[in-house]
Amino acid sequence: MGKRLARILFVMVLLSPMFESRAEDLSSRVIKHSFKNGLVLLMVERHASPTVSFQITYKAGSVNEIPGITGIAHLYEHMAFKGTEKIGTKDYPSEKPVLESLDRTFAELKEERERGELGNAEKIKKLEATMDLLEKKESLYSIPNEVGEIYRRNGATGFNASTGKDFTNYTVSLPSNRLSLWIALESDRMTHPVLREFYKEKQVVLEERRMRTENSPNGKLYEALMRTAFWVHPYGLPVIGWSQDVQSLSRKQTEDFFKTYYGINNIVISIVGDIQPDQVIREMEKTFGRIPSRPVPPAVPFVEPRQEGERRTHIEFDANPLIYIGYHRPAVSHADSIIFDIIDSLLSDGRTSRMYKHLVVQKQIAQSIGTDSATPGGKYPSLFFITAAPRAPHSLEELEQGIDDEISLLKTEPVSSTEIQKLKNQFDGSLIRGMESNSGLAGQLSYYEALTGDWKYLLRIRKELENVKAEDIIRVAQKYFVNANKVVATLSKTGSNEKVQNEKP
Amino acid sequence: MKNHSQFKISLFVLLVFVFLASYGAECRATPPSLQFEPLVFHPPKGKRTELSNGMVLYLLEDHELPLVNISFMVQAGSIYEPADKIGLASMTGALMRTGGAGEKSGDEVDEELEFLSASISIWIGGEAGGGGLNVLTKDFDQGLDLFSDILLHPKFSEEKLQLLKNQEVENIRRKNDNPSSIASREFLKLLYGTESPFARETTLDTISQIKRQDCIEYYSKYFHPDAIILGVAGDFKSEEVIQKLENKFKNWEKRKEMLPEFTPIHPEYKSTVNLVEKDLTQSSIRIGHLGIKQNNPDYFPLSVMNDILGGQAFSSRLFQEVRTRKGLAYSVGTVFNPGNIEVGTFFAFSQTMSKNTIQSVSAILENIKKMRDEPVSAEELRLAKDSFLNSFIFSFTNSAQIVSRQISLEYYHLPEDFMEQFRDHVSKVTREDVLRVAQKYIHPDGMTLLIVGKSSQFDHSLSIFGPVNTIPLTNP
Repeated sequence: MGKRLARILFVMVLLSPMFESRAEDLSSRVIKHSFKNGLVLLMVERHASPTVSFQITYKAGSVNEIPGITGIAHLYEHMAFKGTEKIGTKDYPSEKPVLESLDRTFAELKEERERGELGNAEKIKKLEATMDLLEKKESLYSIPNEVGEIYRRNGATGFNASTGKDFTNYTVSLPSNRLSLWIALESDRMTHPVLREFYKEKQVVLEERRMRTENSPNGKLYEALMRTAFWVHPYGLPVIGWSQDVQSLSRKQTEDFFKTYYGINNIVISIVGDIQPDQVIREMEKTFGRIPSRPVPPAVPFVEPRQEGERRTHIEFDANPLIYIGYHRPAVSHADSIIFDIIDSLLSDGRTSRMYKHLVVQKQIAQSIGTDSATPGGKYPSLFFITAAPRAPHSLEELEQGIDDEISLLKTEPVSSTEIQKLKNQFDGSLIRGMESNSGLAGQLSYYEALTGDWKYLLRIRKELENVKAEDIIRVAQKYFVNANKVVATLSKTGSNEKVQNEKP
Repeated sequence: MKNHSQFKISLFVLLVFVFLASYGAECRATPPSLQFEPLVFHPPKGKRTELSNGMVLYLLEDHELPLVNISFMVQAGSIYEPADKIGLASMTGALMRTGGAGEKSGDEVDEELEFLSASISIWIGGEAGGGGLNVLTKDFDQGLDLFSDILLHPKFSEEKLQLLKNQEVENIRRKNDNPSSIASREFLKLLYGTESPFARETTLDTISQIKRQDCIEYYSKYFHPDAIILGVAGDFKSEEVIQKLENKFKNWEKRKEMLPEFTPIHPEYKSTVNLVEKDLTQSSIRIGHLGIKQNNPDYFPLSVMNDILGGQAFSSRLFQEVRTRKGLAYSVGTVFNPGNIEVGTFFAFSQTMSKNTIQSVSAILENIKKMRDEPVSAEELRLAKDSFLNSFIFSFTNSAQIVSRQISLEYYHLPEDFMEQFRDHVSKVTREDVLRVAQKYIHPDGMTLLIVGKSSQFDHSLSIFGPVNTIPLTNP
């Protein structure tokens, strides 16, 4: 399993013969500009090729959902590709009433469907036929995927978006002479979106759910682990949403999500590549700068209560065994967070990492092993996450024991100075390699700025590393890696009778 | 959403060229009809030279970051391994990397590399082998020592071979866990034949046949300096590096035999319907047949044809029709993979809920047929061409990529100005060209159809497309 974007630092060292890991190098190259309306812009000027990468990070994601509307953040992300009042339509004034009729018909249909057994089958059929007719009518006005077409025509690559727990990202890279195109399109998309083709897109999202979750052993198990770990906090809900919720979401609810969370003051933008920062600021002041702020979105009102003992869940599926383990840990803003990053690297980065070396190479009880320091998000208390697949004939129990042994070792054996030095060297290497791609750098800058309010957080790690002592790691391991914080989700082949005690929330 | 890569070869070529401003004005919806200044860019290109032992070198200095990247390709591949030892080639590559080198054990090599934050890879794939070294400038010599030891003096530790074999056995055990990997694997076997070097798979039996001596022999047969094209990109001085490589590899013997020739495949286009039964809520669909080689001059118009049909997210016909308009799939498109040594493949893929399986197959087939029945619109062609031409610079964003592409072009005997040819051909492609190649290379009546899914839940019987051949899933 791939690791999430490592918590990497970057140091820009242009044309300098020797690399020095001094935070000032990057500090002096990142230009941060705050607009009056609250929009934050980060830029790095780099003329290696006449291209530029953009990332817009909204500080909203599925963590802003509640049961009943799960999947709404992700569904809106899909709708953001449908265009605006000017783009994606041949005639918006004529299109609008058709969209509204669709909404009314869907509301009736939903009501009838939700009556279940008592629903009038005849009526449902009729309403479905009306939906079909109206969708055909809508297609006379809509121009499918026009935003994507305009970008493509202009040589864009990497035009995409992703929804996570904490954030939603929109990315694209363009030839550098097309800055004005990006400004015009994106400022329009974030102010006048039109959610057209809404009901068909829900079907697309449900297919995505079937692909990623329902027919995927890893997807299924991940969903199960999260539900077991979080009983109250929305980190326990699936980003893609429950099927039932996605089916019942209305266009108005989805628009309201946009209005609440997609304010200009809730955004970080990163632009990296062949740009003149002064010119970018001037152009953006005239467009993005004039978008009025919106009320600050409501805070996530849920706090996960302390877990009071180990929790386990088990899934039977037509696939070979897997185990996911989580340990509750505090948010990334907590002082101990960096120690979790270090433990993450120690355990599973590379062939010389502890778990790989011991469990995959020496004992050969694992086929694969991976860890992540903060899953499924970083903004709120989350999990230190371990994923592994046993190698037959070794059982899930044997593998879990092996993983437990590695965790115990962290609590008792001080990390050697060689291990620490290796981590420092690897951080320094990642720093430099992180500079190789405009889009990668834009992503990292946006992420840390959105998460902590200051992209420089990513430079702190290297400084912290200088001061880390073996006993810090022991202290953190002893404090958090305890049974009361442990959550285990296992998967085994249907009917294989793996004995696992189940515990239902 | 999916990423679609345009073509198999990974990188590029140089010439001075000028991007003309594109058509902001004609594009009705571009917000305030934008015009763009021409973009002038002179992409760099690696310089070609040869060592005295016949090894070909490409060198491209780029001092922006303190990194050096070496990559190479070697004339080897799993298509050359004996049929009773399938898996030998890839295992030999993996064992070169992990089984120790020179005076050092595999674990010592790993420790040293990871301490330096450097990486070395060695792989042997279907039609080629390769690998490389990525290292900070300050550690270049140490990295090169390890890298050349791996190439010249791999130790092939018995213990590490056993580990690789055990892991491969577990991979075989897990091979039916994910529906899309079942679909990819079985579809290739249907197109090329179960025994074909281009589709065959490892089994418990072929893995058990592989011995340390086999790896040593495979290595000795294929790894020679005159079978290697190597590139260096990044922060180095050419003169120095040429000298260092010359010293490292000067006593390495040239090869004794050239690669065997393959009996050319003559594709037959037969319509077949195939099913892999699995308890799923979503069917994985593949429809297609064998394709062409990369050196076919029609490759260029075919690429444009494929972009319009299903090769591109958002704007392709399949994305528009099957996904956006009908809501039948999240993942849908076409892949047009030209082969190098042998013909490649052309196919459409999709994943759709069980009860929409037949409807989706029909929608895909309808779009495939339409490509042959009428020319694409002027607007569709314009979009595909603009997109290709305007995004061309993205193939030159990084020096390591540029060099890798040069290596790849030479490895597959493609002209060194292949990319310029590609660009020039694409800019000249007409609607008639697209229609001609669709009619010549797509055979709707000779398609292999494969579904992985739960047939009792389909909207109709799969047999409406023809007699159904059920492929059993064998669990090792």
